[in-house]
Amino acid sequence: MTVSYLDNLMAALRCLPGVGPKSAQRMAYHLLQRDRVGALQLASALQKAASNVQHCSKCNNFSELEVCELCASTRRDEGQLCVVEMPADLLMIEQAQCYRGMYYVLMGRLSPLDGIGAKQLHLERLVKRVQQHPCEVILATNFTVEGDATAHYLATLLQSLGVRVSRIARGLPVGGELEQVDSGTLAQAVLERRELTV
Amino acid sequence: MTAASRQNRQQDELAFILHSHPFRETSLLLDVFSRHHGRLAIVARGARRPRSALRGVLMGFQPVTLSWFGKGEVRTLHSAEWQGGQPYLQGTALMCGFYLNELLVNLLGRDDAHEQLFDYYRATLQRLAHEADHAATLRCFEKHLLQELGYALELEREAGSRQPVLAEARYRYVIEHGVVADDGRMDGFPISGKTLLAMTADDYSDPQVAQQSKQLMRVLINHHLGGRVLHTRELVKDLQKL
Ligand SMILES: [Zn+2]
Repeated sequence: MTVSYLDNLMAALRCLPGVGPKSAQRMAYHLLQRDRVGALQLASALQKAASNVQHCSKCNNFSELEVCELCASTRRDEGQLCVVEMPADLLMIEQAQCYRGMYYVLMGRLSPLDGIGAKQLHLERLVKRVQQHPCEVILATNFTVEGDATAHYLATLLQSLGVRVSRIARGLPVGGELEQVDSGTLAQAVLERRELTV
Repeated sequence: MTAASRQNRQQDELAFILHSHPFRETSLLLDVFSRHHGRLAIVARGARRPRSALRGVLMGFQPVTLSWFGKGEVRTLHSAEWQGGQPYLQGTALMCGFYLNELLVNLLGRDDAHEQLFDYYRATLQRLAHEADHAATLRCFEKHLLQELGYALELEREAGSRQPVLAEARYRYVIEHGVVADDGRMDGFPISGKTLLAMTADDYSDPQVAQQSKQLMRVLINHHLGGRVLHTRELVKDLQKL
């Protein structure tokens, strides 16, 4: 039995996260019925991205070049290295315009219950990076239990190499009011309160 | 909500989130350990939306009260409420917390209430947050877990003969059988009478007891895991090498 092109397309679309058979069918019909031009653009964009986008040899973020634009920039501070879980986190920090140092993107986080340990995260690349360019490391992994575990692991690893390590602070949203904040955030903010010196 | 699902509604159930997975575009699939209903799968719709109030509530190692509806394999979360009172686990204590959760996820069946084990889990998280010797805390939890699963360890008597274990004698622990006198046979796990009695009393202060009990529990838990690997163990081992 041969599989039709249409079946093939629907099966291929299911590699996307959160796409089940129904959504795959809906997407395939949409592309073929309503947007052939979009379909061809998508095909060509996928082809180019999948064969040309690699990981930057310095920050591990996606890059078409051996060293990405951000890492190649001469206007960044090489003395600081901010470690984030995902490329989207890097973009958020860049948008906040609060940081002029370098980055390292883990492309994940430790999650023992998913079988993701230190080996799966390829932390040896980060170690090599820090050894080649000594710097202060700022851990900006998420404030989830997995993000905290990742930060703990990295702090232990990097401190054993004599690296200065800090963790970004968690807190209440700027301009936010206490009554609108979830209990977990509020509890942590009270716990990690700071003494005011006048 | 349909009439049928309203009937299957559970209100304000005390629970812990053992693990969660991204599910569909904006939802989370939670692996929940609830006091009255045991381990359940519950979908938290919209929990991954940027401003979802659920995000700060559905945290691991924190007691929450959950309301859900539906029956069958996956329930749907209606609301979640923060209970508080449990400090965040940090550092090694956090790694130990993951170990507890990995044990529960691997060894606890679904929809099977274990109220005592739930209370013990909650107390264990408190111990991890407040005490420094996590090894003793973990041994106590492992022993309790096996007991709750129906594999209670009889450590103070020899299997068969029912002779009380003597502190100065040497024994072997044979899986699915129990403690036997060490008569030079090769089967079972070699262990001292002193360790067996200390484990009965949950006293792990002696270094040799701590070492032997860790190995015995590892053998027993591996047996019940039936070949499944505990990834937290690997992680902790990697950490200790640093
Ligand atoms: Zn780069």
